[in-house]
Amino acid sequence: MANDKNAGSGKLGTFGYNALALSIFILLWTIVSWISESLFLPTPWTVLKSFLDLCTYGDVEGISLGMHIFKSTLRIFAGFVAACILGIPLGILMGLYPRVYDSTKSVIEPIRFIPPVAWIPLVIVLLVGFSRYAFIIWLGAFFPIFIGTLLSVRSVNPTHIDVPRSFGAKRLYIIRKIVIPSTLPDIFTGMRVGMGIGWDCIMAAEMIGGENEGLGVMILKYAELIRIEDIMVGMIVIGAIGFFINEIFIFVERRVFKWKEAIVIS
Amino acid sequence: MERELIDVDMSMKFDNLSVLEDIKFKVHENEFLVIVGPTGCGKTTLARLLGGLSKPSSGHVTIAGEDVNPKIHNVSFVFQEPSCIPWLTIWDDISMGLEIKGNNPQTAETKARIKEVIKLVGLDGFEEYFPKQISGGMKQRVAIARAYATKPDFLLMDEPFGHLDAQTRYLMQIEIMRIWEREKKTVAYITNNIEEAVYLATRIIVLSKLPARIKAEHSINLPRPRDLTGPDFLRIRAEITEQCEVVG
Repeated sequence: MANDKNAGSGKLGTFGYNALALSIFILLWTIVSWISESLFLPTPWTVLKSFLDLCTYGDVEGISLGMHIFKSTLRIFAGFVAACILGIPLGILMGLYPRVYDSTKSVIEPIRFIPPVAWIPLVIVLLVGFSRYAFIIWLGAFFPIFIGTLLSVRSVNPTHIDVPRSFGAKRLYIIRKIVIPSTLPDIFTGMRVGMGIGWDCIMAAEMIGGENEGLGVMILKYAELIRIEDIMVGMIVIGAIGFFINEIFIFVERRVFKWKEAIVIS
Repeated sequence: MERELIDVDMSMKFDNLSVLEDIKFKVHENEFLVIVGPTGCGKTTLARLLGGLSKPSSGHVTIAGEDVNPKIHNVSFVFQEPSCIPWLTIWDDISMGLEIKGNNPQTAETKARIKEVIKLVGLDGFEEYFPKQISGGMKQRVAIARAYATKPDFLLMDEPFGHLDAQTRYLMQIEIMRIWEREKKTVAYITNNIEEAVYLATRIIVLSKLPARIKAEHSINLPRPRDLTGPDFLRIRAEITEQCEVVG
């Protein structure tokens, strides 16, 4: 029998502990930066002030933090959506027809192991503008989604497939009623991982973008000026947005997959 | 004796491994045939062949004269492994077979049948539950209800209670008899539990060790409900146990 009672009170407790952990972290950070008295380790309050300044007055070129966030998020979204549109159907197809994957493996697998960053010189030469960002992020996000879907289709419980088969169900019915619902949680996990790697790639992508907006660009601008507090604002904002998106994924997962025995949160 | 419905005469090999050799028997209408055999003798292979989930390497399994095929024949299968679909509610799970057989699950007629089998297996009130919320015994009831819902001409049960504890298993045996007496079906029931076989069967076929052959056949005419400790029951049980090579 399911024991849902603990989940409710646990949630509140988790929230409390997280607030506490965050407070302790900020406190330790403050203490360390006071003790070190280093220019290169600003206190949380200096960083907060930079954050507010960046929001209201913008950066050295007058571009606001909101604009940087908007541009980066848009780029990630484009690459991520492209990765989903290609990765999910391709994963399902190749999972259903393992021979297609097995006989194209020599092309797919080596590409998977080329780090997106290694593509940068080629991308600079071959692509322009928005497509540069989208391609690099697509590269990062595609493989976790594609491989996650593919492996999941291959590991559908054979008994679950035998149930409709024993009544004489058609192939399409089995795919629709068994294969896809069984694969969805793994597709979702693949999307979550892909989104994370997309954020990893944003720095690399924006280094070569040649535009003035974007969180990665902003960090690079302040790196040249050695303004650590502004760099840290960029870092924290990237981290916080990633965290926020991940939480949305988890929230949706809990709602959609309430039939699952346990949801593994990584 | 009622008319013969299923005719089996076949052998099954996997590569060079002979699993079933010269398996030859018939199943009569409304009979509760139990096939017993030692562990690992190819019982599940036989069940899958009877249900048309795989094809024999030679010979045939026919139902009313035609090769058994779930796309054509109204056969149902209760699996040994837990087979509830985790993302379907009990109601949707039970309606699956009916839907595949071409019944719209939204019609009053289909709904009435689903309600009927849910009641038959005693799952009233659990329609909207997911499998993770119910016990192992209840999950097997869902599998039985799902198989019964389509009113199959031939019902196959492959060690349906193999995963259950002894007590639940005993209760489920009583239950399955009650259900069978209420809605008579032609049943082939596969098990390695001899007591269960003697308790349920109208006829028992005993298989040998691998490669499985038919070793013996018994008609069981004991009155129902059967007394597990009656002298006749124990005598038949001992005889089959010996044939099954479980002891010695």
